[in-house]
Amino acid sequence: MTHSLILAAGAFVALTAGSAAAQSATDTKSFAVVGNVPALCSGGTIVGTGSTFDLGVLIDTTTGLLRTDLAAPPKVLTGSFCSSRSTITVNATPMAAQNFTAAPPAGFSRTVDYTATASGWTATAATFATGAGSNPGAIQTRPTAFSGDINVSIGTFATNGGSGLRLVSDTSYLGLVTVTLAVAN
Amino acid sequence: MTRVALLLASVAVATAMPATAQNRSATTNMPVIGSAPQICVLQPPRLAPGAQTNFRGLSGETLQIDQMVDSTTLATNAASASVQFDAVCSFPHRLRLESQNNGLWRTSELPPTPSAGFTYAVPYRAEVSWAGVNTALDADALSRRVAERGVTIDRPGAGTLELRIEIQQGASNVRANAPVIAGYYGDTLRIVLEPQ
Repeated sequence: MTHSLILAAGAFVALTAGSAAAQSATDTKSFAVVGNVPALCSGGTIVGTGSTFDLGVLIDTTTGLLRTDLAAPPKVLTGSFCSSRSTITVNATPMAAQNFTAAPPAGFSRTVDYTATASGWTATAATFATGAGSNPGAIQTRPTAFSGDINVSIGTFATNGGSGLRLVSDTSYLGLVTVTLAVAN
Repeated sequence: MTRVALLLASVAVATAMPATAQNRSATTNMPVIGSAPQICVLQPPRLAPGAQTNFRGLSGETLQIDQMVDSTTLATNAASASVQFDAVCSFPHRLRLESQNNGLWRTSELPPTPSAGFTYAVPYRAEVSWAGVNTALDADALSRRVAERGVTIDRPGAGTLELRIEIQQGASNVRANAPVIAGYYGDTLRIVLEPQ
């Protein structure tokens, strides 16, 4: 009810002013239209046959040692973008036996190390070696906004503890590669 | 006046929305999977250096005794040899020794009945050391049959499996030092690494 009264009063003022303004040349009012674009990143989607690197059988079944020809097709993250300066970080955990969780006996290992690489976003690819004590190259910075594909690959497989160790039998060895795009400060 | 107020309100809404919906980082996870199947592997044997007595050596997978009997008493001569295998079993498993004949028996045609007082089969002992476990099979030659000995190993094993064959001086299936009937004697000893 109160609101209606104020509008009515406003209309009355306008009508009164209208008769006075008929004698002025022009009247201008400016309104600011503002907005902003926040810095954001999108990881995109994985092309092809899912997100899993499936290495199959890890060992040479005649020796029990890690295969020397292990390989998996790279994954392509498409549609990735960051709307400002950004960083790409790759992280990875070793492949570990999921059922055989006890300490392996002498001569055996339950872990496979590898190197994960994310390229295409920065001039220098981000790499992470699961067997390394530190991975300073795991994070790379791009100074400009960017949209494009990211290729993620794994390689340089090695038995944790030494190449002379055998892998304990296990139906499931599992590791995880994580790629993170983030707005850089 | 009313229209101005509405415009200002819409700007405020447009400013507020990205603040709640924006993602300053995006993470993609990619699992890495594989498997290691159960395997047991025995590589070809090799004679342990300096570990044989009265054996001619290892030929392929055959150990041949040099002088099986004493030439004057015709009793069995002592003989021993050690053979090594590189081996691996990637899961808890079982080791089994199997003697096909339960001793060294004549492989040539047997007469209807062996001559009394003569040895017609020679006992021996097979000792195995593997994955921290020692076991032995005594092939006593008292009857011709399959004899076996098994031991459970509750962990994976990798390294060297060592087999030692030992024939005692005067070994006989009749009585100690009984003369041995002429013939060709042999046995097949199997070493099996298998699932439990």
